[in-house]
Parts: sequence; C-alpha cells; structure tokens
Amino acid sequence: MTNHWIDIQYSDAMLVIGGNPAENHPVSMKYVQKARDRGGKLISVDPRFTRTSSKADIYAPMRSGTDIPFISGLIKYAIDNELYHKEYVVNYTNASFIVHDDYKFKDGIFSGYNEDTRNYDRSTWTFKRDEDGNILKDETLKDPRCVWNVMKEHYERYDVDTVCAVTGTPKEDFIKVADAFCSTGTPEKVGTIMYAMGTTQHTVGSQNVRAYGMLQLLLGNVGRAGGGVNAMRGEANVQGSTDMALLFHIMPGYNPAPTQSERHKSLAAYNENETPASGYWSNRPKFMASFFKAHFGDNATPENDFLYDYFPKSRRNNSHIALFEAMYDGDIKGFITWGQNPIVGGPNVRKEKAAMEKLDWFVCMDLFETETATFWTKESGADPSKINTEVFFLPAAGPYEKEGSVSNSGRWMQYRWKAIEPKNDSRSDAWFVHNLARRLKALYASENGPIAAPFKALDWSFGDGDYPDVDLVCREINGYDLTTGKTILNFTQLKDDGTTSSGNWIYSGFYPDAAPGEEKNRSKNRDNVDTGMNNYLNWSYAWPLNRRILYNRASADLEGKPWNSNNEVIWWDNAAGSWVGHDVPDFGAATGPTDPGWKNPFIMRPDGKGELFTNGMTDGPFPEHYEPYESPVPNAFSSVQLNPAARIWTGDYNDKGDAKDFPIIGTTYRLSEHWQTGPMTRNNKWLAELMPYMFVELSEELAAEKGIKEKDKVIVSSARGEIEAYAMITKRFRPYEIQGQKVHHLGMPWHYGYQGIAKGSIANYLTPHIGDANTMIPEYKAFLCNVRRAEG
Amino acid sequence: MTAYAKFVDVTICTGCRGCMVACKNWNDLPIDTQAYNGTYQSHDKCDGKTWNVLQMKEFETASGGFEWLFRHQACFHCTDAACEKVCPENAITTTDMGNVVIDQEKCVGCSYCVYNCPFEIVALADYVNEDGKIVQRAQKCDMCDSRIHEGLVPACSQTCPLDAIVFGTKEEMRKLAEERLAIAKEKFPNAMIYDPPGVDGTNMFYLLPEGPEAFDLPVNPKVPTSAVIWKDYAQPLGKMALGGTVMAVATAFITNKLFNKGHGHDEEGGDIDESTKE
Repeated sequence: MTNHWIDIQYSDAMLVIGGNPAENHPVSMKYVQKARDRGGKLISVDPRFTRTSSKADIYAPMRSGTDIPFISGLIKYAIDNELYHKEYVVNYTNASFIVHDDYKFKDGIFSGYNEDTRNYDRSTWTFKRDEDGNILKDETLKDPRCVWNVMKEHYERYDVDTVCAVTGTPKEDFIKVADAFCSTGTPEKVGTIMYAMGTTQHTVGSQNVRAYGMLQLLLGNVGRAGGGVNAMRGEANVQGSTDMALLFHIMPGYNPAPTQSERHKSLAAYNENETPASGYWSNRPKFMASFFKAHFGDNATPENDFLYDYFPKSRRNNSHIALFEAMYDGDIKGFITWGQNPIVGGPNVRKEKAAMEKLDWFVCMDLFETETATFWTKESGADPSKINTEVFFLPAAGPYEKEGSVSNSGRWMQYRWKAIEPKNDSRSDAWFVHNLARRLKALYASENGPIAAPFKALDWSFGDGDYPDVDLVCREINGYDLTTGKTILNFTQLKDDGTTSSGNWIYSGFYPDAAPGEEKNRSKNRDNVDTGMNNYLNWSYAWPLNRRILYNRASADLEGKPWNSNNEVIWWDNAAGSWVGHDVPDFGAATGPTDPGWKNPFIMRPDGKGELFTNGMTDGPFPEHYEPYESPVPNAFSSVQLNPAARIWTGDYNDKGDAKDFPIIGTTYRLSEHWQTGPMTRNNKWLAELMPYMFVELSEELAAEKGIKEKDKVIVSSARGEIEAYAMITKRFRPYEIQGQKVHHLGMPWHYGYQGIAKGSIANYLTPHIGDANTMIPEYKAFLCNVRRAEG
Repeated sequence: MTAYAKFVDVTICTGCRGCMVACKNWNDLPIDTQAYNGTYQSHDKCDGKTWNVLQMKEFETASGGFEWLFRHQACFHCTDAACEKVCPENAITTTDMGNVVIDQEKCVGCSYCVYNCPFEIVALADYVNEDGKIVQRAQKCDMCDSRIHEGLVPACSQTCPLDAIVFGTKEEMRKLAEERLAIAKEKFPNAMIYDPPGVDGTNMFYLLPEGPEAFDLPVNPKVPTSAVIWKDYAQPLGKMALGGTVMAVATAFITNKLFNKGHGHDEEGGDIDESTKE
C-alpha cells in the first residue's frame, strides 16, 4: 500500500477492483464504512457480485482478465472529459517529457520486440535528451511526442463502446463508475484504488497494477490522504515476507537478486548496472555493502568485495511455476515447504504433484498435516508403492506460540509477543532457521572448498541458545554503526565502505541508536493517540522512516500547501524552513521552493516524477490489453492474443484449452470463512461448519443450459483435469455479452483439499502453468472450462 | 432497571460471520454442520445449538436492482417476552439489564417457549444436568449474560469489525439507530428501524435496509393472546387446583391446540406499524 488501512476513511471514492475486502480483509470495511458515512462512494468492479459488491454504491461487472481495457477506458474518459488533475499531471508526472524518436507501438507490439525470445529490448522506451544529458520537455503538453500525447494516442482505441464490448460491462454501469471515480481528479477530492489477487493473478497482472497507478497519477490521487494505490495483502505478513526477500528475484529491501549474468559478474558490475545516476536508488551500493556486512560479518571487507562472490547467483527463473517444471524435469531433487501448501495452492496441481513424486527428499513444516505433506498417500490419488521420496514432517508453532514481527499491508511493522508455549515438539520458524543454519555451519566447519566457504563465512551471531535471540535479529535487520557498536540511526547513515551493516535497508530506523543492552525497538510502540489524520505515528513503525503515506510531497501543491485544507498530510513551513505536518515527509525535509527537486515528489524514480511512461516493465511502457492465455474471444485491440512477453510452458500436463471444448470462463477466489489453502481454517470446526463443502457458483442461465439443478453435484473440467463439486446457482453470476456473443463464466473457492475437517475438491487441478510477464505470478483468475451434471 | 440493547445495523453488515464464531466460542456451543443447501448460508435458522445465524438473502428490488443482504439473527429479548410468559416453571426471566435468560436447571424441556416465540428463536438442545445426564432443555442467546453483567459487551458485538452490532443502553442505541437510519436512507430508501411494539419493543433490534418481509420477519409480531390468557389467568389458577404434574399434561394439550406454532405469526399482526417506519 502507498497508504494504510485506517487512511481509507478519507477517501471520496473507493474503487475496489480485483479485490473483495468484505470477504478477504473484513476489518478494512470498517474504514470503508467510515468513508461512506462521510459521503464517500464505494465502487465494486468484479466479475461476480461479492459481499463487497453488496455494500457498494456502484457495482459494475467486468469479465475476468479485462482490467486493462476497463482502466484504459477510464484513462481515456478522464482525458476526453478533462477530468484529470492538470497541475499535478504537468508538474509531478513525466507527461511533459519528450519520448525517444524510435519508440513505436503498432498492432499490439511495442518497439524492441524479439519474437524468438519473446523479450523486449527496452532501449527505445526512454526520453530524448539534449547534449548535456537533460531530458527534453514541453510543459505546455503540445509537442506530439511528449508522453502526454503519446499516451493519448495509445489510449485512443479504448473508447467506452469498445471497452464495454470487451469487458462485458453494461455501458450505463461503466459511465457511473467513470463519473464517480474520475470526479476525484480535482484538488478538492481524492480517490483510492484497492486491489488484491484478482488484479495480479493474470498474464498481464503487473500491468494491471500499473494501469491503476497511471489512473491515480492522472487524477492526482497519489501521495494524498484517502488516495493511493493500495494492495490489500492476503496474509498477516505477506508485506513483511516480501520486504525480506520471499520472492525469487529480489534481495531484502527490493534490491535485484544477483544472477549468473555478465551484468552481475562482480559487485562492481552489479553496482554499475543496477544503480541509477539519480533518485534514491543511487544509494544502492551502500545498501548492498551494508547487507553483505550483516550477512558475512567481519569476513566481508571492501578488499574481498564484501564476499559478493559467495552470495548465490541464480541461473534460472526460480518462480513457483519454473521450480515445479524444473522438479518435474529432474533438475531439483530436494524440496522444503515452509508454511506453504502447493498441492492445494499451486496452479496445475496434477503437474505439481507429478513433479513432487520425482523428488529424492521432501521436508514439510506446517501446523497441520497438509495435502502437500501427504502428496504420496492414497487419499491424494497417488500410489505410495511407486513413490521413492523420503518425506519428513516438522510440526511448526502457531502465530501465538512465537515471538517476532509482522508487517501489514500499510507497511506497519508490529511486534508480537509469544502468548503460549508451542505444543509438544512443534517449534517456531526462528528455531528452524536458527538450527538449520547452525547445523549446516557445523557440518561444513572442517571442510574446505567452494561449497563450504559461504557456510563458513556466514555470520550467525544470534546467541548460543537453542532458540535465536530475536532482539539480536531485530538489531541486525536495522543495522549497526560498526565503528561504535551501536545500532545505526537509519538508512541515511549507511555507507559502502564496510563501516555499517543492515540486513534490510528499508527497515533501518526501527531500532535506532541503541547501545548493546539498550532496547529501542519501535515496532513495539503502542501509543494509540492519533497524531493527526489518523496516522498514529507512535503506533508500531512503518517503513521507510515511519512514513505512513508514500510520496506525500504530492499531497501539497506547487507552493507546498495542501491541495485541500480538509485533507492535509504535510506542508512547507517557510518560517521553519522545513516540511511539517501529520506524517513524516517522504521528501527532503529541508528541500524548499528554491531548491532543485522542489517539484519532484517521486523520490525513488530517477527523475522524481510519476511515470506515465516507463521502461521499468518487461512488457511495455504502457499497459496494453491482451487476452488471458485461455480466452473464448479474440483480442479486440490488436491481432496479438496473448501478452507477447509472457513465458509459455509446454511439455507434459501443460495442455491448453480451446473455446470449442471449454467455452466457459473459470475463476477462483477466497471466502471469509476459510483462509488460503485451508490448513488453519478447514481444521477449525467452527469455521468448517460455516463453509463445509466445495462448490461452484454459476448463473441461472448457465445452469438451465446444462440441465443443472440446485444442489446437484457437477463436474468442472479444463484441459488439465476435472473436479467434482456442488452446484450453487445464483443471480450473483450473470452471463456476459462480449463483442455480441454470449459468454458464460463460473467461479469457485480454491480453499479445499482432502485433509482436515471440511474437505472438498482441489480447484487448482483446473488452472494452467502460465504466469505474468514481470513477476511470473500464475494466471489463476481466468481459464477455460466446462461444466456438466455428475452422473448418479 | 435500565434496559440495555443490542443494536444491529443490517445495512452495513458485510456478512463475515465473525459473530457466529464468537458466539459458539464464548458460549461453548456444539458444531452442527448442515447438509448442503445451495447457498452461502450455513444454517436455516437459530436453534439450541446455534444461537446466532447470519441470514444471507439475495433478492431483486422493485426497481430491478439486486441486493445481497446479511442479517444477524439471534434472540430479540422482547420486553414483553412470550417465552417468559408461558414458562410453567418460571425458568425464563428478564434480568435487570433487560436480557431474557433461561435457567437450565429449572427448565423441564416442555417446549412451550419454543412454540410461542414470535421469532422462532428458542429451541431444545442437549444439556448435561447436575446428575451428569443428557436432557433436552430450552436454549437460546442470553445476550452473553455472563459478559454484560461484568461490564463487557456480547461476544458477537465484541468481534464485529464494522460496529454493525453495538451494545449499550436502549436509549443510547435508539439514538444511534436514528442517526444510522438517516445515513442508510441514501442507499436504501426503504430502510427502517425494526423494534416491534407488539412485544413492547425488543432489546435486540434492527436497522433494516428493506421491510421485515424481505427477511421473513413478522411484520407486527405480538405476544399470542392465548399465551397472555394462559400465563396471567389460567395457569396460576390451574396449578393451585390440580397440582404440577396434572397441569403439565393439560398444558401440553392446550399448548398444542391453542398456541401459535411454526408459521403464521403475523396472523395476529397487521400492516407495518407506521410508528416504526420512520
């Protein structure tokens, strides 16, 4: 989130798209309701009518996989009707920048495309510069090659009629949404976009999010209270685990993970290729050096490149799908799942299960014996006599049985204390990682050679106990001034000369300036007095530097005054010569009107401007519509059907469905009553009772066509497999009219499996192995299927 | 006595069903998984094992719109409580806070309260008595009597993330309901406060987005006339003359013959009372 949960209450229009907070983030609806009580409008855009839709002032149905047409339609609507926030657009975005002469877009393809590798060379997705290297601009926005006009031309095709023909949204509903949301393109009003996995789990998932960002920049809604682009995280610590490098392509604090490429062949090469000349990321070498100091301790020195060479360099794409493909191909022999249940949660389960059956060994750490833990049993459909995998199960401690922090969607790092001791032999995550590291170090202690060296060099100074000293872990994340031994004040003090350390630079500052034994853990802060505009600056710690609203310089106008006196975040205090207000400025606190950069609120970008045009994406400088991998209709916007930069997996079990055999769009989602793959809820009798059975929701029209009656059992099939479930016939699903053609859709929860109290078919037998071009997140949300009554 | 009330704003309930889980948790109620019924709703109605059930109603409005509405169902704690009136053992009483409670040790499981509840809330369920025997006793929501008399709010209210279930004095809650009604009218023009006068008001009352019919609620519930006659006149006289056991047999007969049962509560009622329409 750019903002935070409590801040939603300041919104005049809340566009919920690709998300369902009433069911998946129930507590957030408290703040949605507060906004509604103030007159704010809730807009729900969703393929089906959800519990969130039931509370919405406006509901608009939208075919799954058509976010980009929908949002592009809003972008064009805002431009055509001059509803955008002009002063904001001209000054705080790159609208005025002149685009590279060779940048082109034709029939769905941007310049630089290589059809063989399905990759783009992004060198033309840049700006024209003068001899001194300065970007050419036209602040009148008249130059036909400035971003504004190139963007206008790009979205010319996304008129309301074409958009609605593609999304299936009734035109009057689309206009209602457009009027309500684009009304926030003024200084007086502000709107927020709230999204979740309905947005991201597509082959264009990242560009869906980017489209939201662009719309919010046009309406001047980023940086303001009640505004922003807000990812509702589906798990208590998804934000924290992502920050700490859960994902395969990043290191802690969003530095790119080193790969086996020329670009990363040494620390110097890495720093040169990954460090921009301007913007805050120009400090990257300091973050990297400090990270390696945390990782390798005294062993890391400037002379040995801080042991960069010892750090793993990935040789392949290590995303979820790619790992299971490699496992199936025999390239991965051992596997640890840690609080993850891919046999329920992974796409194309038939393939992922077949992949696991080839493993030499498998370790599962979980609270319950999950479907993944029992992938080899008869209940799972396997033949145990044919599986040679050695399986270990390690019982894990639950959330109340361990100490540590979680970071919520609003980036608030909140400390949690242990309430009860873990039961029986179960252990906390920290125990597992502590013991794994210490035992590996012990195993390699007497060995020499390249495999042993990184283990021997690893600094693991978290005490001598069986459990690690969590306070020492906290201090290491924050980092130290190694010359004084005190924890470092914050990341602005980090250096690239080996005199500082920090395990994760974005969190540096949560444990500031503490001598050994002196506790200053700000994630333990629990002062619930409102410090202004409900930012509660003394409750927990928000990264970076306790800022609650990112890019908050943009909440103020060109004179440094809040755009609207009812919606103040920070402002320039001339007398004090600094930015002051209700939040920690996300800007140079002393950067005044005469300083360079005064009008550059987006400090993480090299040019300080919001990027309406970018080269930061693998699949285009502007979001462009492509149909899902499996779609019943041709792409109306170009002759390119699928995202041209999405990687396609072929081989066993990767069959692609055709609309002739599988004419119905399928989608998956969650319910309030269950959580993720279900171990923690399907094993809880009170929750199992509320949602005991796997079901498939479908419209009355589709049920009639297929002869399906209420409570019938049905078979849903896709090119990858079929599952049985109860039919739930409801008006909450309606057929779409897409380009003059009737298109049916159905949906189902993906929580169920064969373990636990509430059991049911695994939805992910149906979903394909294909992912987003940028992040590789699987396309769970739109695939082709069919449905029939189960016999008997 | 100051009457306390639980005010339920149905117009803002998001249907998360945290109230149902909190209720089973606090009151240690058994699991009663129902057969698949083709909807999200878990139980048809409240009973002795499930004291609060979230009703999930899909319907099309007169203007062609579509609504999916969620109503927290639990005991209404009627001011003039029919269950209390008909109980031959005086097992059902109204406390000093206005909530209606059943003494499980006094209850004999005769079911008069079950037959006479205008809202079909109270029901028999297993109860382990002092001798360790499982017997059938009338059970229902007691508004978390054990909590509210210790200064806490009912478990459902404590857990509700929307503050759609609020607990306080009836007077405060009526005031809050009026404020919420004014806001709700914008999205739901038919919104109304449901605090039926036929039972002298209830200490669990609603702000409904649509009229009571939309939720299968009686339009104007009343304490059955027969129950009034029975409790206030016949029973005391009969008990004196015939003794308890004979009277219980007679009561069962009369109950079956005379008292309202199952359906048709609103036969005694009329149209929506204008005073509750706001």
